[in-house]
Amino acid sequence: MVQKKESSEKLTALFGLKIGNISSQLEEVGREFFCADNKLMDEDEVSDLSGEFVNLIAAMLGSKDPHKRTSPQFHALESFFSSLAQRMLMRGGNVEDVVRYAQQLQYNLIAVLEQDSGVAFTQSRSVLLFFAQLFDELIMAVFRTYLSERENTLKAQEEELRETSTPIAEIWDGVLTLPIIGTLDSSRTMLVMEALLSRIARDRSRAVVMDLTGVKNIDSQVSHHLIQMVRAVQLMGADAIITGIHPEIARALVSLNIDLSAVTTRASLSDGLKEAFLRMGIQVTQKSS
Amino acid sequence: MAIPGVHLTRIGRGNFLLEPLRSLDIRLRNKLIEEVVAHMQQGQGKRLYYDLHTLPVIDQAYYDWLDTLARACQTVNITMVCINMQPTAAYALSGFLSRKPVFETALSVPD
Repeated sequence: MVQKKESSEKLTALFGLKIGNISSQLEEVGREFFCADNKLMDEDEVSDLSGEFVNLIAAMLGSKDPHKRTSPQFHALESFFSSLAQRMLMRGGNVEDVVRYAQQLQYNLIAVLEQDSGVAFTQSRSVLLFFAQLFDELIMAVFRTYLSERENTLKAQEEELRETSTPIAEIWDGVLTLPIIGTLDSSRTMLVMEALLSRIARDRSRAVVMDLTGVKNIDSQVSHHLIQMVRAVQLMGADAIITGIHPEIARALVSLNIDLSAVTTRASLSDGLKEAFLRMGIQVTQKSS
Repeated sequence: MAIPGVHLTRIGRGNFLLEPLRSLDIRLRNKLIEEVVAHMQQGQGKRLYYDLHTLPVIDQAYYDWLDTLARACQTVNITMVCINMQPTAAYALSGFLSRKPVFETALSVPD
């Protein structure tokens, strides 16, 4: 009971502490994790970082209820770690550096506060528990930022991959080509269709050559989407020509009872282009020498 | 002769341009078809261009109207061509069409 009372007195002493200029004593932690080999920050930045952290932790400890996880002071501290994690990841650092920095900061902070105030905080279980819980939450914020950044990167890469795998190019005035590479799934077919129809409307294209040379698999749903894409192109008043159908795809289409009689097909992209030119009355001839 | 809900203009060489107005009521399709066909026959029309640029979506009811008009035109040797179909409308229509439509399609009226 006496020990508990003593612990809680130390916690009260911690919350009532007037934190002086301790940022210079915490700078070493920043230097260790961000200025060493990885060169993620310069000395001035580390100094600013420590100063900001000390101000935020002082505000947090001096707040009405330092245990409260919904207080503006806690949110400010959480944002500080989130933005630090984001900055470090953008500069090529890894999440481990930020987590280890937070852990080391926790130990050093308690030691520095003890030294500064003369109160034996390191001997108090409730003070140690308070900091452990606080820093656990802050480390969680770092991980949340890391996961969100990772998710954004993956989304951006996925988007880029999708765009580069379905490049719609105007190969001639009014003739679009769409080489489709990889596996066609329903969501991708929808995206391709959306991009293609908008492009036809924008460029007033009269023919579209869809090359399936790079498509290795097709299922029933996707083949229906493909037919739907051809039909939508035709409805907009353009000609649709499908080229490069692999024997396996042809067999799959037949076994799926897909009717391609309303679709113009040609063996290769070059044959498809010739057909598009023919329909548009364009003749490409070799210049006589 | 003014036809309620549509603007029908002769654009030369037996071609007519039909622009649907906001007031078009496709529930009155029988009367509308009679008037459009009569107007075109009077003007010795051969081709009817139906401008769809104001329609963002074509649903089953509107498609039925287009289909009926195109069939009526076909019986009197008039070809109906839908022009300026919007990407969203083409996408929606292609989703429920099971066969080739009776009308033809083009990007716009040929020069």
